[in-house]
Amino acid sequence: MRMDEPNHQQALDAAVDAALPSPQPGAGAVVQHSFLTAILRSVQQRSIEQRVLAGFGLVFAGILVISVISYRNMTVLIRNGHQDQRSHEFIQLLDAMGEAMDDAENGHRRFLVTGDESYLTAYNTLRERAPEFARYLRELTSPESSQGAHVTHLAQLITQQLQEERNAIELRNKTGFEGVRGMALTGVAKASLDAARKLQAQMEQEENKALAQRVIESTSTTRSSIILLSIGALLLFVLLAAVYYLIRHDITARRRIAAELQRRGELLEAANKELEAFSYSVSHDLRAPLRHIDGYASLLAKATAVSLDDKAKRYLHTISEAATRMGQLIDDLLVFSRMGRQEMLHGTVNLDQLIAAVLHDLRHDLQDRTISWKIAQLPDVTGDAAMLRQVFVNLIANAIKFTSTQPNATIEIGSRSDGPNEAVLFVRDNGVGFDMQYANKLFGVFQRLHRADEFEGTGIGLANVRRIIHRHGGKSWAEGALGKGATFYVSLPLARPST
Amino acid sequence: MTLSKPIVLAEDNPRDAELTLAAMEEHQLADKVILCHDGAEVLDYLYCRGPFKTRLQGNPAVVLLDLKMPKVDGLEVLRTIKNDADLRPIPVVMLTSSREERDLAESYALGANAYVVKPVEFHQFLKAVKELGVFWGMINEPPPEGAGRAAGRSA
Repeated sequence: MRMDEPNHQQALDAAVDAALPSPQPGAGAVVQHSFLTAILRSVQQRSIEQRVLAGFGLVFAGILVISVISYRNMTVLIRNGHQDQRSHEFIQLLDAMGEAMDDAENGHRRFLVTGDESYLTAYNTLRERAPEFARYLRELTSPESSQGAHVTHLAQLITQQLQEERNAIELRNKTGFEGVRGMALTGVAKASLDAARKLQAQMEQEENKALAQRVIESTSTTRSSIILLSIGALLLFVLLAAVYYLIRHDITARRRIAAELQRRGELLEAANKELEAFSYSVSHDLRAPLRHIDGYASLLAKATAVSLDDKAKRYLHTISEAATRMGQLIDDLLVFSRMGRQEMLHGTVNLDQLIAAVLHDLRHDLQDRTISWKIAQLPDVTGDAAMLRQVFVNLIANAIKFTSTQPNATIEIGSRSDGPNEAVLFVRDNGVGFDMQYANKLFGVFQRLHRADEFEGTGIGLANVRRIIHRHGGKSWAEGALGKGATFYVSLPLARPST
Repeated sequence: MTLSKPIVLAEDNPRDAELTLAAMEEHQLADKVILCHDGAEVLDYLYCRGPFKTRLQGNPAVVLLDLKMPKVDGLEVLRTIKNDADLRPIPVVMLTSSREERDLAESYALGANAYVVKPVEFHQFLKAVKELGVFWGMINEPPPEGAGRAAGRSA
């Protein structure tokens, strides 16, 4: 897994480089670069699940941002469209009003001249429809805007025109043409009509200006929407591609690892079978010649008992002894090998009973010895009772062996809890001890810190202890000092209290 | 307590055979030992065929079987003996170098009467072989002739 990390990292660099704008040259570049590196580093520290999740999170956030901005732009465009329509209606209405006012004034003048009431049709129409026009115009503008004020002003001017014309009609009816001759020539409401026309033109101009502004706004909004959508789509595409790459890369890596695991599993199985065949062969074939060496050396010693001198007898004896010892070593190795392969049972082990049984088994070693025992109450642990028994046989036998030179031997067996799931058990003696610098050698196969003529043994016991404890998921270690005794510790999983 | 029936020793290794015989010698059992060099020879003896065609009828007091032998190995011989109604009553003792659990389990499963691991140390080996010879050849009362058939008929 570690091996393809750099590859992975390069690909990630490329993906991030593509997704982010390239650093600007100059002073900013260094800052930006270190910022990028920091981001990259934090990305690399995450697991594949977190990276994919972050990638999808970014994609969804991008979709959300694009959606919000698009929605806002669309609202602007729709609102502008509505307002454009109203503006056009507004301008049309203004034109219609202007025409109606002109028609009313022209008809009115004809009436003043002729006295024919049929010329007052346009005036009457204007008078009837003026409030309607004003209301309509007001609807098309907001009261706070300048156009709203203009509309009010325009309505006033129309009212004024109508009022002046009415006065003139009444005067014509009372006095006849002569009374209104002057008025008929110049026009009755010329001043207010001119003002109204001027105002109307101004309003039209303002409305057209607003229209033009809105067109510019709509165009730029549309353009920015298109740009935003394009960039967004591109970014999302890159992000999705990066996420896809991550997932695909992970799947490939997983497949490769699975295949590799399977291959190694098969290799391991083959190796195990070979090892089994090997140890079987050791067990069966290697012992036979040793038996022969000892056997024939013994037969020779017997046959030549009279003729051989002491020296030659000692040689024969040494041959026998060496063969016997090698047989012992082979047996020990086989036991050690079996400890590693043997199937483990899991159960609750009562250590108090186990220690009592071990001491009972070792009673032959304890003959002619005075040892003061300090055995504390021990907790129940989880494990294989037979294997754990082997552990304590080895540890206690060692303690007995290495206190043999001590007139007041003391052996202490105790425990301390190490967290809620683990117990640490120890066997302490006041024997010959050992130099702490060799503490790690103690647990090696056939490693011994004493000469064979000082203390017997092959040096397999503690190796077995370590192997068994390791298989239980625990640890083994030792403390001691030369001439000051030794303490051997093992940690084991505590038995779950049955409730 | 005189030994009337022979002891069959199946041992392919001549040195092991010699040492075993030397051990038997100590108790004057050696001349009762029939030495076979492989599993096939053991079966020839038991079925009175080949070189044993002319031997006196009757089963041996005990068969001491090595596990690893040429031609027919110990477990195969054991299986044949225990599957034959006539031979089944013969006590079979596995005498081998192997202390492998697999061999032990298989031997007992096939009906071995005892399983002895040859000790490396000669004095212990001597003792083991002597005790085996004395127990199975002298102390143990062998089954009467036709015991297997009789049991088979009554069953």
